[in-house]
Amino acid sequence: MKQILNYLILGLSMLLFAACEKEITVDLPPGKASLVVEASINQQFPNLNYVYISRTIDYFNPDLSLNGVRNALVYITPGTIVGNDTIWNDSARIQMIDINTIPGIDFLLPGFSGIYFNPTISPQIGVPYKLEITAEKERVIGYTSIPKVVEIDTVFWRQEFDTQEGDTDMYVTFEFTDGPDQNNYRLAIQNGFNPYLLGWGSASQFRTFDDAFLNDGVRPYSFFRPFNFGDTLSLYLTSVGRKEYLFWESFARAANNGGPFATPISVKSNIQGAVGSFTGYGVSFRSVIIK
Amino acid sequence: MKPFISLFVCVCLTLVGSKLYGQTINGFVKDSITGEALVGAIIKTIDGKKGAATDVKGYYKIDLTTGSYTFQISYLGYITQQRTVTVSAQDININFALSSNAISTKEAVITGQRNNKNVTSTEMSRVELSGEQVKTLPVIFGEPDVLKAITLLPGIKSGGEGGTGFYVRGGGPDQNLILMDDAVIYNASHLLGFLSVFNTDAVRNVEVIKGGIPANYGGRLSSILNVNLREGDEQKYKVNGGIGLISSRIMAEGPIQKGKSAFMVAARRTYIDALVKPFLTEEQKSNGYYFYDFNAKAHIHLNDRNKLSFSGYYGRDIFNFRSPTNQLVKFQVGWGNAAASLKWFHSFNKKLYSNTIFIYNRYDLNNQFEFGENGFKLSSGLEDLNVKQDFYFTPNKNHSIKFGGQYIYHTFTPGIATGQVGTITIDESINKQYAHEWALYAMDEFKLGPRLTFNAGIRAVFFTQIGPYTERVFDSEGIEIGQGKTYNKGDVIVTYPGLEPRLAGTLLLNSNTSVKASFTRTYQFLHLATTSGAQFPADLWVPSSKLVKPQLAYQYALGVFKNFNENLYETSIEAYYKPMYNQIEFKPGANLFFNQNLENEMIFGEGLSYGVEFFAKKKFGKLTGWIGYTWSRSTRQFDELNQGKSYFFRYDRTHDISLVASYQFNKKWSGTLVFVYGTGNAATLPTSRFAYRPGYDIIENEPKFTFVDVYDKINDFRLPAYHRMDVSFTYLQKQTQKFESSWNFSIYNVYNRANPYFIYFVPDIEEMRVKAYMVYLFPILPSVAWNFKF
Repeated sequence: MKQILNYLILGLSMLLFAACEKEITVDLPPGKASLVVEASINQQFPNLNYVYISRTIDYFNPDLSLNGVRNALVYITPGTIVGNDTIWNDSARIQMIDINTIPGIDFLLPGFSGIYFNPTISPQIGVPYKLEITAEKERVIGYTSIPKVVEIDTVFWRQEFDTQEGDTDMYVTFEFTDGPDQNNYRLAIQNGFNPYLLGWGSASQFRTFDDAFLNDGVRPYSFFRPFNFGDTLSLYLTSVGRKEYLFWESFARAANNGGPFATPISVKSNIQGAVGSFTGYGVSFRSVIIK
Repeated sequence: MKPFISLFVCVCLTLVGSKLYGQTINGFVKDSITGEALVGAIIKTIDGKKGAATDVKGYYKIDLTTGSYTFQISYLGYITQQRTVTVSAQDININFALSSNAISTKEAVITGQRNNKNVTSTEMSRVELSGEQVKTLPVIFGEPDVLKAITLLPGIKSGGEGGTGFYVRGGGPDQNLILMDDAVIYNASHLLGFLSVFNTDAVRNVEVIKGGIPANYGGRLSSILNVNLREGDEQKYKVNGGIGLISSRIMAEGPIQKGKSAFMVAARRTYIDALVKPFLTEEQKSNGYYFYDFNAKAHIHLNDRNKLSFSGYYGRDIFNFRSPTNQLVKFQVGWGNAAASLKWFHSFNKKLYSNTIFIYNRYDLNNQFEFGENGFKLSSGLEDLNVKQDFYFTPNKNHSIKFGGQYIYHTFTPGIATGQVGTITIDESINKQYAHEWALYAMDEFKLGPRLTFNAGIRAVFFTQIGPYTERVFDSEGIEIGQGKTYNKGDVIVTYPGLEPRLAGTLLLNSNTSVKASFTRTYQFLHLATTSGAQFPADLWVPSSKLVKPQLAYQYALGVFKNFNENLYETSIEAYYKPMYNQIEFKPGANLFFNQNLENEMIFGEGLSYGVEFFAKKKFGKLTGWIGYTWSRSTRQFDELNQGKSYFFRYDRTHDISLVASYQFNKKWSGTLVFVYGTGNAATLPTSRFAYRPGYDIIENEPKFTFVDVYDKINDFRLPAYHRMDVSFTYLQKQTQKFESSWNFSIYNVYNRANPYFIYFVPDIEEMRVKAYMVYLFPILPSVAWNFKF
């Protein structure tokens, strides 16, 4: 709410006072290069089980690619909770394979680097998982599990004719039932004919929220901006653990940070040895054609 | 506690037991037309051997032996009077009424300092501006503003382009105690800080104390800003007003009972909403922003010994938003201050008088969000009930004593949410907090010989957080896992006592040169929860608690004051050193919105600021004004930030220059030039970045990802220097006995300097590089305002 307020007032003041801008040269000292990891597992979509490894680069480095790290050893191991301990099942350990080692992949998916996956991995809800990475002599370790899925109950919409644009606006709402327990959500929205995501970053929009404010009941989620008549809308409502939520919540703010009153935001990593997150997603999926 | 009470009782007994001797002449000095008290008017015998200056109430008192005396009564901008008085066995009460000298009042000078008071008094690090003086300065959009005016003084820094935030001697924005007729104003800004809540037509004078804070003030570490409103004209009805580009204001005053009581009312409203409306689409027309404020003040002289006055303020900012893309989405936010004070002045006898003040003040923020049938309201704020008792006692010519106390009952409302979303009924609130804040003080300004004067004081403070309150327990991930101890109404949760010694001394080297030194220790029990460094409507004030210790600061100041050419020129050099403890910051990325666990987002560290301030001022003549220069350093150190290393405070400014020059061309035209220069603000910029959240766009056949910035060091980068020149010209259009009007023409940023507001970065995929852009707000901006009075 505070952010909405600040952005709105800032927008108004900027409009009023006709802010100007010009390009300048900034001389920044180089930063220390760190390993970066995004590891994702879920119970439903094999294409969303992957590990992405990269490095931080100097801010003004002209490299605007994924900057993926190759030749890393990446393992995901399931475990069993016994009392307060977790026993890791090394026999079920799965090695994730560097996608760039697949012949022809550079031609099919140019620019996609640092991605490790294995189509045989089949994560389960409630099972703990351990991530181990050895890359460029550095070791990374992380833990997660997939929380219980919160299903999307209904998706509905109303339509309004936009006289200015001459088309039909579709205002979409979906509902889900939030339980009494503490729940954390990430929502990915894909607007396009292909409902399937090749990496979470393929989605059109993202939201990260919890139930601190709205808890225990049927909860509507409305999109303020309308979609177009006939759009294919795919919703991925995912449940994530608290540590994972704190990472993605800080990531959302860091990725949208800016303006005169912004303060530097550091992401709250939930892995050791690198910046980033190992997240288990309990996915509820719904795809609808809005018409 | 006990030692404080004993000390206070001792001081009081000492005062009562002081030797009283001789006769006195006492009374008030007022404006003959308006009846307003003249602060700092000089009453002295013609030979200059006996004299006094009036206090904030316009009250004076001189000890004399029997005989006949000729007094000279003078005040800047007023015709000097002479009067012969015979003093016999009885004390004499005489009130003086001075007539204004119309030409002199047009001069831009600091009020009440015609003599060498700046050299002889123990006060240092203190400046005063009149409401009239503020109006002569060049302004943006024709809007004169008190808080922008004070940032032209050395040691007081502006928060940024066009803003009203101010930072005193390296302190934060919450470390300034802002008072309007004794009532605390917690958020002194309108329009996101571009204007302050003070209507200049209603302002009589502004006093800023940035060091050597006397013992009768407390509660903040860095400064006291005292805004005194006009008392109201006891003789005739008057109306003042002004029409600016984005707002207009009006003030009316007059007698309720001639010569005995008077009122003043003032109002202001912006019409930004109306100005913007023609440029909005049909869907946007219900959007808008406006603010308004009201001031009301009245006083009555009950008799020669008693005066009652009331002052009130109410102001709101309102922002309405309806989504142009979805008419079901509505958002309204309103915020503002309300304040009221009732003051009773009572003179016990010729040597002792008192002020008793009852004060109420409130700041609140209310948000309302609607989406179709769903909606909720959020509100937050704080409220104070405050009573002050001040005594002024002058046992003899060598002692001037003040003592008294203050009590404040604070109620903090961090957040209340109500509403309905789906089947979920929202009825959430963050625990309210309550606190008592007490202070007892005594101070004595005394002379040790003809050259040495001291002002020694002590302030005993107590802060107690009380129930009702229920502790909530959170795990390391911020999830509430249970409740802790429950405190019933009035139960003490934590108490912080503190002693604040204050000492100031002046060594007079000759009649126009002195050396001054001061020492202060101050506690602050209230803290502003903000991460931005600027003040926002949604920022919360939070009290000291078990976890949050009071802020503490020491300030040492040393200065040399010298006047030249029969006090035509005043100059000073002051150096200060200010360590600060228990400073508060928030963890990087802390979420302050509706956060029950806010205290666990806080981290605690230390601050240090030091600097030297030079000030030179020409007080009289066609050309008046001042030049100020400050060299300073301000740093912070937190174990959890910047790898534990000390870093520059965001508003650290190595060099700061301000020049104000006013010139009276003739009876019709006058002009003012302002030039400011400041080292660029310290800023935290990213040193590296990384790509994250990868995906593949099969339509565009390319990877998709998001860049995230990485920050290594805090405030390690300097924005470009800030400098600009403004000019204004005032044309006195019409001046008769009944009506006066003038035009004010201002040009802000004459040479069109692009001053940095903020910097942002954009990766340019086509050029394969990251571009840096600097946003600047105000290019050269001419404006015009019409002011009138009748």
